[in-house]
Amino acid sequence: MGETVVIKGTKSGITLVLNPDADYETLKKDVAAKFSDLTAFFGEAYKAISFKGHKLSDEQKMELINIIHENCKLSVLCIVEDDPEEEETFRQALENKLMEQENSSNTGQFYKGNLRSGQVLDVETSIIVIGDIKPGAKVISKGNVIVLGSLQGNVYAGAAGNPNAFVVALDMHPVQIRIADAIARSPDNPEKNIKKRRKNATHETKIAFLDKGNIYIEPLDKNVMPDIHL
Amino acid sequence: MGEVIVITSGKGGVGKTTSTANIGTGLAMMGKKVALIDTDIGLRNLDVVMGLENRIVYNLVDVVENNCRIKQALIKDKRYPNLYLLPSAQTKDKSAVTPEQMKKLTGDLRNEFDYILLDCPAGIEQGFKNAIAGADSALVVTTPEVSAVRDADRIIGLLEANDIGQTHLIVNRLRADMVKEGNMMSSDDVVEILAIDLIGIVPDDEHIVISTNNGEPLTGSDCQAGQAYMNISKRILGEDVPYLDLEVTKSFFQRFASIFKR
Repeated sequence: MGETVVIKGTKSGITLVLNPDADYETLKKDVAAKFSDLTAFFGEAYKAISFKGHKLSDEQKMELINIIHENCKLSVLCIVEDDPEEEETFRQALENKLMEQENSSNTGQFYKGNLRSGQVLDVETSIIVIGDIKPGAKVISKGNVIVLGSLQGNVYAGAAGNPNAFVVALDMHPVQIRIADAIARSPDNPEKNIKKRRKNATHETKIAFLDKGNIYIEPLDKNVMPDIHL
Repeated sequence: MGEVIVITSGKGGVGKTTSTANIGTGLAMMGKKVALIDTDIGLRNLDVVMGLENRIVYNLVDVVENNCRIKQALIKDKRYPNLYLLPSAQTKDKSAVTPEQMKKLTGDLRNEFDYILLDCPAGIEQGFKNAIAGADSALVVTTPEVSAVRDADRIIGLLEANDIGQTHLIVNRLRADMVKEGNMMSSDDVVEILAIDLIGIVPDDEHIVISTNNGEPLTGSDCQAGQAYMNISKRILGEDVPYLDLEVTKSFFQRFASIFKR
């Protein structure tokens, strides 16, 4: 076991086990190498982190985290000190951080223009699109998505895991809607005849929201108001 | 070990995607386990023709970049449980994948599937190189038009240069009435120019338009194109199937009558 750096992962956090005998400079190099190898594995996840084995000063911990940030897309949100109930601490710390982000999703921004196939609009806040979202286009938001136009593409609301996120569109015909961890797709065989399909198409303002793990799409009227949580 | 077949043409709009969808469906109907891979990154549409667009979560680029496992990205067909689609990415371009990565991907799928059909993009650039990288054999689709035949000829040359073993020809959108009047090349003419073995002739059929609009391949239905695609699938499996009789045998009176029937 000549490994100086071992990465142990849990669902919401990672533990870096550092060889107590190795010197700090080697550790830095090995951490950089490890994480750049694992860029694809971690993706753009948010994690909490803790250090084990080697005694580190606060400056050294910060330096290692900077090395991690430089070498992969992982975002370390917080450092957790050693704890027997590690996983629970990780989870809580992470959730608190994510909740902060979700709260920021109560702010919004505007986008004007049509989104066509292949275009992706990815925002940290809620988003109001003035225009159409065509099939093959995608809107990803950590908050809510409001489409003042026709929604025929993909939309992902509450991308950081906010189950209260919702989607509103003046003309709701999406290919796929995702809210937090749930995913819904359009029905398969609406109408074979194109003329009839156009005739039957409704142009009604609708809202999509998550309830007990299922996504519902309903007309936006006073009946759904109690289901909307900001 | 499965066989990897690339469906290519050079020219766009001659029916690569339609052929991939229909032949894949045909093979699946005969009990084979089939994977269709859309290699047209940035301009995907095999998923639309198959009617599976709304099921896409992961795609080819996600698999290649190890963002997900192959099994997570494979979409099971609506009608045939042994038919799968690996959709392409819409927001990336052809350079997102390398020929080596495609080779590895098709290599992995070989153990799972009997047939892997690759829907090749038009052109001879990166996308084409990716698509042919892992292929054992090729189906070249052309229409009986000089421009399409010319491009097919170039493609056949490139396939040979890249050591793709067998190449077979599909003549698509043939109109028997025009051939009869001498206004269109016959399939024999096309075969003579391209000098490769013919594996199928698909007539120009309005049912194809309806089928693609509805996202349901028509292989096996009783229209001419449906039968033609079924026959191609059977020939891929090694069956000896006679070619369809595409003669339009309507007399003047029958045509006259059919106008009033409508």
